[in-house]
Amino acid sequence: MKKVLIYLKKYIKETIFAPLLKMSEALLELFVPIIIANIVDIGIGSGTDYIVKQCLILFALGLFGLLFSVSAQYMSARAAVGMATDLKSDLFRHIQKFSYAEHEKIGASTLITRMTSDINQVQSGVNLTLRLFLRSPFIVFGSMIMAFTLDVKSALVFVVTIPLLSVVVFTVMAVTIPKYRNVQEKLDSLMLTTRENLSGVRVIRAFCKEKDETEIFNDKNIVLNIAQRAVARISSLTNPMTFVIVNISAVVLIWVGAIRVDNGDISQGTVIALYNYMAQILVELIKLANLIVSITKSIASAGRISKVFDVEDSVLDSLDAKDYFDLNSEIAVEFKNVSFRYPDSTENSLENISFAVKNGETIGIIGGTGSGKTTLVNLISRFYDITDGELNIFEKPINSVTEKFLRDNIAIVPQKAELFKGTIRDNIKMGKINATEEELSVALKLSQAEEFVMKKDEGLDCKVEQYGKNLSGGQKQRIAIARALIKKAPVIILDDSASALDLATDAKLRKAIKELPDNPTVFIVSQRVSAVMNSDKILVLDDGELVGIGTHEELQNTSDIYKEICSSQFGGEER
Amino acid sequence: MNTKKQTFKRLFSIIGKYKAMLALTILLAMVFVVISLYIPVLIGDAVDTIVSADNVKFDALVPILVKIAIIVLLGGISQWIMSIINNYITYNTVRDIRKLCFDKLMKLPIKYIDSNAHGGIVSRIITDVDTFADGLLMGVTQVFTGIATIIGTLIFMALMNPVITVAVIVLTPVSLFAAKFISGRTYKLFKNQSEKRAEQTALTEEMITNQKTVKAFNYEDKAIVEFDNINNSLGKISLKAIFYSSLTNPVTRFVNSMVYMVVALIGAIFVLKGSLTVGMLVSFLSYANQYTKPFNEISGVITELQNAIACLERVFSLIYEDEYSEDGKASFNDHSGTVEFKNVHFSYSPDKPLIEDFSLKVKAGETIAIVGPTGCGKTTLINILMRFYDVKSGEIIINGKNIKDVTREELRSNFGMVLQETWLKSGTVLENLTLGVKNATEEQVIEAAKMTRAHSFIKRLPNGYNTILGESGGSLSEGQKQLLCITRVMVMNPPMLILDEATSSIDTRTELKISKAFDLLMKGKTSFVVAHRLSTIKDADRILVMKDGNVIEIGNHNDLISKKGFYYNLYKSQFEV
Repeated sequence: MKKVLIYLKKYIKETIFAPLLKMSEALLELFVPIIIANIVDIGIGSGTDYIVKQCLILFALGLFGLLFSVSAQYMSARAAVGMATDLKSDLFRHIQKFSYAEHEKIGASTLITRMTSDINQVQSGVNLTLRLFLRSPFIVFGSMIMAFTLDVKSALVFVVTIPLLSVVVFTVMAVTIPKYRNVQEKLDSLMLTTRENLSGVRVIRAFCKEKDETEIFNDKNIVLNIAQRAVARISSLTNPMTFVIVNISAVVLIWVGAIRVDNGDISQGTVIALYNYMAQILVELIKLANLIVSITKSIASAGRISKVFDVEDSVLDSLDAKDYFDLNSEIAVEFKNVSFRYPDSTENSLENISFAVKNGETIGIIGGTGSGKTTLVNLISRFYDITDGELNIFEKPINSVTEKFLRDNIAIVPQKAELFKGTIRDNIKMGKINATEEELSVALKLSQAEEFVMKKDEGLDCKVEQYGKNLSGGQKQRIAIARALIKKAPVIILDDSASALDLATDAKLRKAIKELPDNPTVFIVSQRVSAVMNSDKILVLDDGELVGIGTHEELQNTSDIYKEICSSQFGGEER
Repeated sequence: MNTKKQTFKRLFSIIGKYKAMLALTILLAMVFVVISLYIPVLIGDAVDTIVSADNVKFDALVPILVKIAIIVLLGGISQWIMSIINNYITYNTVRDIRKLCFDKLMKLPIKYIDSNAHGGIVSRIITDVDTFADGLLMGVTQVFTGIATIIGTLIFMALMNPVITVAVIVLTPVSLFAAKFISGRTYKLFKNQSEKRAEQTALTEEMITNQKTVKAFNYEDKAIVEFDNINNSLGKISLKAIFYSSLTNPVTRFVNSMVYMVVALIGAIFVLKGSLTVGMLVSFLSYANQYTKPFNEISGVITELQNAIACLERVFSLIYEDEYSEDGKASFNDHSGTVEFKNVHFSYSPDKPLIEDFSLKVKAGETIAIVGPTGCGKTTLINILMRFYDVKSGEIIINGKNIKDVTREELRSNFGMVLQETWLKSGTVLENLTLGVKNATEEQVIEAAKMTRAHSFIKRLPNGYNTILGESGGSLSEGQKQLLCITRVMVMNPPMLILDEATSSIDTRTELKISKAFDLLMKGKTSFVVAHRLSTIKDADRILVMKDGNVIEIGNHNDLISKKGFYYNLYKSQFEV
């Protein structure tokens, strides 16, 4: 909450003045019943002039009320939108700092809803609060105070009514809010079933599960319906109860007023004024009830946003981190007894890994699914910090350079090609902002993307939709490769990045990389022996352990697992 | 307009069964309106009995107050029952519509599901239905009570004093005009706002989902700049939209207070002349207060109603979407597993022909492998074989029967299918594995899992076979999910098999280990195997090499190698560097 509310600080003037102006407006409204009382008590005795004068005062009250409330609306809109804009900007910055660990922990979809609907909820909550939060209680209590100034004995009716109303409104809210949460959960579950049935439509139909799934959906649908109606039954009490309480109070008020008038303590006009104050309370209470629902929702949203702010980036630059690598170092990457465990996991994903890679070498990394290949290369880019051991890049500890500088020197093609909305050119230029046409064309050639890009009418300026939806898997992957190669980084990591390419293209790609002019250090992660067999060194991973290291020929004699992998792919043929 | 009419007709077919309840709620609304309008009259009467000191007519006052108390209670009760009925109608309609949606979902052609964004369909069933229910049903009652209040007020006022009534009638439209003027201006602003907001959401989504790439390319700063640009212009638009729209309230309130003033002025003068009592003036002032309120409410509700109808139209377009072609009625007499494609033509879109005049006879028990570059039509063959899509022309004959003549259930239950995209439902491992055969015993399942090597990792899950998997398999790796999908078919043991890249995410060593299980599973069964890893299909009886929807080579591995054609090159490239 606090973390979110401090964003109002910049709009402190608006935050203070908007409610004050609203209160002033409310104050003006509180005078209206008194004027009506005057008209009845004095005007009707003294003639038209007095009545006209009083009506002019009514007009003036209305006009000033308009002025006050328009400026209040403007200020609260400014404060609410302004704080939401700043909050969004900061939250986005904060999320951008997250390492993979934080990302995986929270999950993309949650982050997106917090960035969008939660912040919108906070915005409208702040806006409403500034506008109404002071106004409504002010009118409620103001009416009571005005009633006291008119007649203390009659005003005692208010003293009973207001707490009674508050009890009703707040009890209903206290009971329903947790139930609303329950409804939300049921709705989420229904949504899950729907989504699942869309994504799994082939399997569900192949297994003829339509009837079962319909049954599951219907059950959840009915459970939701019951939950919704249970809440509604309670919340639908609010309006009738306030209606009855306020009107019965009015009856009592008139009764008390009648006795007071009969005794000569107050006038007829005063009774009318008292009644009008009671009527004003009813209107405001209904507004207040709606407001409180909205505020509770906003508070929940603010809480969710705060939680994101609470998550700290786990990969941090050390204070003396520098932007320097000696690119002529003999050793490019060195693991010394490195272990790694994912946060929240109990077992190490990598166990005691040690190896050294010479500058300019090509390293193949092979192993089964879940053996830790991707984890290992993610450590080189410092997407996660190692749990134990030492990791040196160009003979310096990985945390002695800034994260940004480290990643400038590493080009990665991830397993899943992630593209962005824009053009093919925009996407490739992510690797090098000021790339020339020539560099672009070289990168296209190297990544084997030239053929299909040139086939497109717009060539490099071909539009790419969100997530690259309009491109095939292989096309996306080749663009992702071009994007990495254009960086001309001294270290290149290909994380199973040719999986969507056919074998011939894959082979050509590897050949092109091998012939890169600057002689970079290359890591090739793959499940295919053919992709790694010509590397200078092959690392064989199994269940997070390094079980073999050497060339293809060496490993065939030293590593049983490697031998098994080979024979599984070549069908026993020795090649 | 015509579509609107249709929409209402369709809506009525759904809420028709709540007719009686609808009538009752309207009746109760009327009761409440009359009561809430009658109260000011009674209050006025009461005030008239309280004239001055020693001039209070208690014997007249008491019955009036009792009367008020009674009708207030009646009003409260009718309002309460009304909202209970409204909730009943609303939530049940929501439930009914969602049920219709889901029933339809089960009968939609796969083509529809493939070509529409899933998020869009989900939001129709969840969000749109909610918006419709809130907007339409609540809106209708509000409009109805609003109109009743206006008419009722006019009648009550006219009965008391026609002159003041005319003054009120002349003045109130001012507030309507003001509200309309403002909402006309703000409509465009809101549209701009939602467009900008959509743009911002799209960017946020992209940058967060693609976080890995953003980090790898140090793109954070640029993403922030892009975001801030959109964010700032959104801020400006939002400020305008919110401010202008929030003007409605103060402006109409101002107009209301002017009406109030005029009523006070004219009313007081009438009292002075003696043609109106003080109590009536009080009643009039109450009316002036509540008379303009329904106008404001109605103008607010109208936009909500429009939105609700738009949502409803979207929902109906789903509910009334064409279903898949009619089901056949027959079932297979023999289950031997012969398959024949006879001059089959198929394409996803008419302008892009894909499979043309494809014919193939498959003997019972044969293993057919299909290879070829991406987009060649491998998966398409499976789509038409399982009747996920219907062929354009030609016939597919299975077990001697055209697949159009047998029920889909019969057809599909004869096939076991493992796809490249592993799909698991949220539920326990066991539930997922028994998807094909509900009454499989745990022993059967474990035996199958042992054969596919899935047992060893399932065992290590927190609750073994009863571990609950999250949405789309939760934290399992792609390879583990694929093993579960294979086990699922293993448990089912169907007469025919379709394996579409069934082992693409499994490493080759494990693949080799489960190949025996596959051999056992495929033994004696007609099987269709799609794979790009050629080593997995070398033993197939026949290999179809496809390119651009056509079969360009056919034969077993050795035939095709010696032919030195497309397949030969494909196979060779596997070992090239």
